[in-house]
Amino acid sequence: MLATHVRQTASVLLESAIRIAPPDTRDWGRAIRGEMDQVDGSWAAALWAFGGTSVMVKEALVSLVVPGRRTQSMVPDGGLFAKSASLRKGALLVSGACMLVALLFFAAPPFRQAFRVAMRPWSFMYQASSGNLQPGIEALARRAEAQHDPAGMAFCAVRMRDAKESARLAEEAVRLDPHLLWVYAILALRDPGLPEVGRWVDKLKAWDPQNGLLPLITAESIVRGRLPRGDWSPPKPEQERAWRAAMTAAFQAPRIDDYLDRFAELNRKVVPRYRFYDPYEVESRWEAGLPDATAESCERFAMLLLRSGKEFEARGDFVGARREYWTVARFGQMIDAQAHTDFEHRNGAYLQSLAYQPLKALAEKEGRSEEAALLGYLAEKFNPLKGANGNLAGGSAFGHFTSHRNAAVVEVAGLMILVFSGLAGVALSILIAGSVRGAWPAAQRAKPLATLVALASTVGLLFSSVTLYLTYRPYWYIFQGAIRNGDLDQARDLHEFLISTQMLPGLSPHFSRTLLEALIYSGSPSFLFYVWAGVTLLGVSGLALILLRRFRGRPHASPP
Amino acid sequence: MKTPRLSPETLLVLERFLERSTEWRYGYELSRETGLKSGTLYPILMRLEKYSLLEARWVVTEEGVPPRHTYRLTPNGLELARAKRAEARPRSLVREPAFCSG
Repeated sequence: MLATHVRQTASVLLESAIRIAPPDTRDWGRAIRGEMDQVDGSWAAALWAFGGTSVMVKEALVSLVVPGRRTQSMVPDGGLFAKSASLRKGALLVSGACMLVALLFFAAPPFRQAFRVAMRPWSFMYQASSGNLQPGIEALARRAEAQHDPAGMAFCAVRMRDAKESARLAEEAVRLDPHLLWVYAILALRDPGLPEVGRWVDKLKAWDPQNGLLPLITAESIVRGRLPRGDWSPPKPEQERAWRAAMTAAFQAPRIDDYLDRFAELNRKVVPRYRFYDPYEVESRWEAGLPDATAESCERFAMLLLRSGKEFEARGDFVGARREYWTVARFGQMIDAQAHTDFEHRNGAYLQSLAYQPLKALAEKEGRSEEAALLGYLAEKFNPLKGANGNLAGGSAFGHFTSHRNAAVVEVAGLMILVFSGLAGVALSILIAGSVRGAWPAAQRAKPLATLVALASTVGLLFSSVTLYLTYRPYWYIFQGAIRNGDLDQARDLHEFLISTQMLPGLSPHFSRTLLEALIYSGSPSFLFYVWAGVTLLGVSGLALILLRRFRGRPHASPP
Repeated sequence: MKTPRLSPETLLVLERFLERSTEWRYGYELSRETGLKSGTLYPILMRLEKYSLLEARWVVTEEGVPPRHTYRLTPNGLELARAKRAEARPRSLVREPAFCSG
């Protein structure tokens, strides 16, 4: 029973293939179909028909691209869609339905955001070339100022790359709402060379005197003041003294707060109020944590303390040595405990690892074996080379590679939506032009092909839309969680995904690594992207060629 | 005379035609004799016909049954097939002793 159905299906398939084959090869198709009746057994007959179908389809495809066979098109005048008006209507109905469903996707906020993310590499390049990298933030700042909204202004100030404008907005925001004073700390950490920093730190110290972050900012502004153009020069004695005093205050502070919790709270207020759902600008807490330069200062001062501890040890002053070592360890613990970013967490862990090793050696020297064992365990645990400290801030469920791959899929799906929309638009224009009275003969002749292109492109459009939506949806939920409750679950996935979509794959900050992966194995995102881009380009060129040949190569007079 | 690319499968088909060079042959029959599937056999037949090495015609075998396509080598086809067979023969004669045990 099944074999009979398979045979019938194969027969229908072969007959359909004969219909789309070029006229001069259809006799061969009929010959294969005629021989099928001679084949013993339904499965064998089906295999015979499948072989014949492949021959006919191959001939049809060859006729599309081989110039000498232009009168033998896949869609000849008596072809699939030209032959049957009802079939053409059906195809147009399916095209319309696909187009409608694809358009309906735009009603869903996750899809709109996904589409913007997919267009990010191109919009980013355009913004970079026009010199306006933050048009959204600048517009939001203008709205917030017009509404005298301090939260909105603070939201923009901590994101704006223009340091002067950022400082102006921050001061205006704090003037309207003094509770936003912490915004100064974010700005001062990002740009400690600003002339306002000294004044801001004084205000912050009065407002939050126990926070070790503030002397860290002072130390950074001293370093930055010494290196106005990034040139290295030996510090003057008074600069070195001031820097050490600031670092001592930071290391001895009872606590550290980078204010990123307040940053998240500001997101929760401002984003829904202005409906500003730009994930690149909103989820930028990662950039607002302790910067590299601060970590370098911390490490340098920690080394000074450890060296001082060694000197105490050499003099036999074990109490003094332990005090120096524990100062470093405790500061590392403070940074680690409050860490909101991977970088802060790694920095805290690293400082601890520096301190636990000499503490362990000292405990062994003093014969406190249990304490030495514990400190040895901690030194191992926080050793950055061992990678044992896996409790990084902002979890990751997908992993680095998946986020990069998803970014490539989103970018390609967005590109395909544009390509298919363009093709569908051209095909529909030809269909409309061919349907009006006194239409161009060329447009009338191209209607069957335009129907085929409309069907293929709208199905492709729907498929690309579904792919984009399904791939981006998890990141939408992560983003929503981050806005609504400052949830850092899977925040690293979102962060890595957004970084990957910032630029075209291959030009990203991970360029060398990605390229290497592309060379090593073909699953690399950049490789995937280029293959897809190549396939797309070839497909579009092929279709353009076919359309060109249809218009230029067909005989001008159709036989009656 | 222009000739198509002669793959081992094409030579196999030519060999079968040569065996009964004057007879009209059916596609399925050739497929069974050569062991080639329809997807391989028919492109070969089409190519041979394109180069005028093969002629085809429709024949009605029984009443009520669709006509069948039959094939036969043209004089050019016969000449080419014989030439190719002659080329292949000396090689096989040379090879044989190399694999003989005695």
